[in-house]
Amino acid sequence: MTIPAQLLLVFIVTFPALMLIYLSLTWWGPLDGTTWIYAFESLNWFDNYVEIFQDGRLWGSVGRTFLIMAVVVPIEFLLGLGLAILFVDRFHGKRIFYVILLMPMMIVPSVAGYMFFMLFQSNGPINQIISGISGLDFDVVWLGHPIRSMIAIMVADIWQWTPLMFLILLAGIISVPEDQLKAATLLGANWFHKFWRIVLPRMKIVMVIALVIRSVEAFKLFDIMWIMTKGGPGFSTETISVYIYKLTFFDLEWAYVSTAGLVIMIFLSLFAVVGLIAMGRAKRKRLANPG
Amino acid sequence: MPLSNRFVYEGLRYLAILFAIVIALIPIAWMATMAFKPVAEWTTAIADVTWLPKNPTLGNFEYIFTGETEEVIVTLDRIAIRPILSSLLIASFGTLIAVFAGTLGAYGVSRFAVGRNLPLGVLQLRLFPPIAVVIPVMVMWTFLGMVDTWWGLALIYGIVTLPFAFWLMMTFFDEVPLEIEEAALVEGCSHWRVFYRVTLPMVKAPLATTCLFVFILNWSDYLIALLLTRKDWVTIPVYMSELSVAMTGPMYGAKAALGLVAAVPPVVLGIIIQKHLVRGLTFGALKQ
Repeated sequence: MTIPAQLLLVFIVTFPALMLIYLSLTWWGPLDGTTWIYAFESLNWFDNYVEIFQDGRLWGSVGRTFLIMAVVVPIEFLLGLGLAILFVDRFHGKRIFYVILLMPMMIVPSVAGYMFFMLFQSNGPINQIISGISGLDFDVVWLGHPIRSMIAIMVADIWQWTPLMFLILLAGIISVPEDQLKAATLLGANWFHKFWRIVLPRMKIVMVIALVIRSVEAFKLFDIMWIMTKGGPGFSTETISVYIYKLTFFDLEWAYVSTAGLVIMIFLSLFAVVGLIAMGRAKRKRLANPG
Repeated sequence: MPLSNRFVYEGLRYLAILFAIVIALIPIAWMATMAFKPVAEWTTAIADVTWLPKNPTLGNFEYIFTGETEEVIVTLDRIAIRPILSSLLIASFGTLIAVFAGTLGAYGVSRFAVGRNLPLGVLQLRLFPPIAVVIPVMVMWTFLGMVDTWWGLALIYGIVTLPFAFWLMMTFFDEVPLEIEEAALVEGCSHWRVFYRVTLPMVKAPLATTCLFVFILNWSDYLIALLLTRKDWVTIPVYMSELSVAMTGPMYGAKAALGLVAAVPPVVLGIIIQKHLVRGLTFGALKQ
């Protein structure tokens, strides 16, 4: 029964991984006129790997990807947590507010990128709103400026993915057993104590899940970036995905791209193994003393 | 809590939520109103930026669907109908592949001791950025003649969204009581028959949820379609991003109209399955 899924896995993981290893040892490119099987004709062993470590643009894009991740994920987490706390108990209109707040997450990412592309035009509404609030004549260029375009992209990402954090964390808060909260209330615990002592400890795993899922996705960031800035101005907003995309389609350095892809895969696999070991340990601990 | 504090808290809560809602809606509102603005209002001096169109028009929709409208001089060489149909077909077929393989695999893992490595193996599909395997995929797809075909794109969509289908269905199967299946087995049903006649009808609704969820993900993709389509089978996001390249000047209104068309299905489907969104997005680790 698992055969179809296994086949798909072999097709997209095992075989490509082998091909990546093979091509990473050559200089093969699509313009060579030979198929990839004959890539050994331009065998160069580890030259690509040496080159990777000297590729400033690549490491710049790696750093930028992590920078975006480090800024965006905690902000989304805190905003999502705050909203989730507001939504714990009942109030009028909860249902409809909830649905509206989830909407950004359901917008197609490339369309969301386009929305913010329009909003951040220098004669667009963002500048207008800031002018209106500050009373100054505010017309800065956002997307043509190396630092401000990064801010614009982060804003777009936060707008789109805070709802995901909100959704996951709210589900986590709701799952805290109510009788424990009631008991705490009877014992005279205030709101802050209840949250800090009862809700938070029970939400640890949910929080880790939310953070991991968002970090993994933030690492892949491409859509809004490509729509809003195409990595520009210059290379100043290139993430890993954007840089590799450009290498693949504009520079056609396929062997080099293979090497980069392989390095990324090895790197992420190490992360995954460490993460899985940690999670297994947490699970065993929870099984040992449940509740 | 004293009554007055209670009121203050309620008031602050509504204020905060209202603020969040305004932020959530501003970008959507800007695009939605832009879709109904005539060319003259697409770009204006900053002092003249208006939120509601002064002279609302359906011209933008007319333009992307028929290729011409009164105000725009250039006619559109490729209208949006084909990309919309492509998106529908490819996303649906990708969903079919993911849900087929995912459901079978999940049932196997959930009921029999096969494929122990499968849950994590499938999950790694989600961990790696698609861009890391771009070269093997391009080479393989070219070799198999699947670049810029609907089945080629549908196949990789099926693979990319397999983890969601697999993990979702696994949690749903785990919730089905085993007694009924065991009873059917005792009566002499084969395993396949039990799966087909007993279990599957019991998870009909979850199966539909999974399909809608996976469809949203497929519909939303941009990067993979950008890699694997050229001209015949471009999907809405790719078509949309190329709309300004082919034209002179930014096609704000036309793109906004198209964006609105692209945004509606996932939002509607997402609201339909919102009860299961958490489960889907956390690979079944959480329920609501």
